[in-house]
Amino acid sequence: MSRLAPVVIDNGTGFTKMGFAGNSDPSFIQPTVIATRDRGSAAKGPSVPSKPSFLNTSSSSNLASKRGIEDLDFYIGDEAVANSKTYALNYPIRHGQIDNWDHMERYWEQSIFKYLRCEPEDHYFLLTEPPLNAPENRENTAEIMFESFNIQGLYIAVQAVLALAASWTSNKVSEQSLTGTVIDSGDGVTHVIPVAEGYVIGSSIKSVPIAGRDLTSFVQNLLRERGESMIPAEDSMTVAQRIKEQYSYVCPDIVKEFKKYDQEGDKYFKKYDGVHSVTGQPYSVDVGFERFLAPEIFFNPEIASSDYLTPLPEVVDTVVQTSPIDVRRGLYKNIVLSGGSTMFENFGKRLQRDIKRIADARIRRSEILSGGSMRSTPMEVNVISHKFQRYAVWFGGSLLASTPEFYSYCHTKAEYDEIGPSICRHNRVFGTLG
Amino acid sequence: MPAYHSAFNEATDLRSIGGMSFLPIKTKFRGPASNADPNAEDIIDEALNLFRANVLFRNFEIKGDADRVLIYLILYITECLNKLTKNPSLRDAEKTLGTLALSNFAIPGDALFPLNALYPAPANKADADLLRQYISQLRQEMGVRLPHRIYENDKPGKWWMCFHKRKFMNKSL
Repeated sequence: MSRLAPVVIDNGTGFTKMGFAGNSDPSFIQPTVIATRDRGSAAKGPSVPSKPSFLNTSSSSNLASKRGIEDLDFYIGDEAVANSKTYALNYPIRHGQIDNWDHMERYWEQSIFKYLRCEPEDHYFLLTEPPLNAPENRENTAEIMFESFNIQGLYIAVQAVLALAASWTSNKVSEQSLTGTVIDSGDGVTHVIPVAEGYVIGSSIKSVPIAGRDLTSFVQNLLRERGESMIPAEDSMTVAQRIKEQYSYVCPDIVKEFKKYDQEGDKYFKKYDGVHSVTGQPYSVDVGFERFLAPEIFFNPEIASSDYLTPLPEVVDTVVQTSPIDVRRGLYKNIVLSGGSTMFENFGKRLQRDIKRIADARIRRSEILSGGSMRSTPMEVNVISHKFQRYAVWFGGSLLASTPEFYSYCHTKAEYDEIGPSICRHNRVFGTLG
Repeated sequence: MPAYHSAFNEATDLRSIGGMSFLPIKTKFRGPASNADPNAEDIIDEALNLFRANVLFRNFEIKGDADRVLIYLILYITECLNKLTKNPSLRDAEKTLGTLALSNFAIPGDALFPLNALYPAPANKADADLLRQYISQLRQEMGVRLPHRIYENDKPGKWWMCFHKRKFMNKSL
């Protein structure tokens, strides 16, 4: 039986990535935001019925009349942002978890019918969830997917595991294992998640309050301190973001990097050309040290913040050290990057060097403490970068859902009808690709 | 990787007063510091090299007496940059920094010195005088070398001036 490609949707806090399995890029990437008309009711929250509903016959009809055309009057994604003047913006996902199920249902509705333009009853679906998601959330998701959209089958995968799967495309990876440490850095927060054999080690997850947004505001600060007066005030955020995305890279040593800029300025100093968003006047901005100082705040957070001081390599090391002892070598060996803020040139190289240094120092110390009688094999530290890093989670989903085994791991509509939403509380771990 | 330390911390055979070691410097100004090898980098070159990296940091662990000299010089560079915000010509800058170097300044042990928690006070009056002369020598030499390092087209280079608002260790002289 030939099947249509499964639909892969990765709903993140900031952006939703959606497309069809087997593709290397998501078809749509747009903000996870929904614009609705109900300005007032959203603020009030759900109303509490004073009487049981069977005594209050008018309330149900009341609800029905409310749920008239208003229900269809909403936008999602970029269109929502464009209509933010006349509609109220809602972010259905908070901290990775679905916060408002009604909005989320409507978000999926438009994602499927207006953007992907597919018939959900003809497709299997792969959705993603953050680590430590509650099983009840999976039940709710299943209910919406099977009851409202009547999909053929559903699999809910953990984002970190998909990111691991995405790294199999890198030529540095020799075996396809689901053990590794995932560093997921998006716009709001950076997570370090250890995964052993496809299971997330929940107790060792750590988060770092430094991510894309902080880098952007750091660049903005540097530009302001230098007095780049050409930048129009209302564009300063966008300019900082563009400079960060286009020119930034990670350097091995800041002092040496400063020296390079002194000696070969022409090669390193850049110019950013922009156009004033209101007047249409062109302007240009010098781009200098922020090129390497911006990503440096992952490695030396104290240069940008005064309260958070632990460098990312140290956090990764702590995460591995607090995981069970028998998986630590595996976790060091397979450190996988995911998310837009890990895209800086040489980010992986620098991270690998710094983690290796910490691990080697520990081994040396224990060797000295043992009085030279113990020798341990050197720790293998590998940080894996690959070209699908930006949408690693989505790409991993696309990869897994395009295998023939995917269907046997899914919960089907028939199973759902037989047992109920509780079957989706658990999703079996994918074995390695055969 | 925390802030950068001085490479001169290893030279422990030098005399030090107020926690600052008396390192040799390449200078024509008279003072207690001995003359350094004219082809090698001295502590002032080092301070100029490390300034832009270290000034970004708020924490610094002192690993030796040369580090205290480094801290002083970095804070002094910030002070100099603040004098150059009006974009004076190179000759004016040299003059301004020359006066700044010789103006009244606090040394470790003085009530006005901002880093007294990190610098021990000199033991006696003679040591204090010697320390004052040494610091004055450092300040004068820095006043000469800094403008030459940062001036472009008779104007302080913007790639240096952008650091004048940053405060190393949240302190200023």
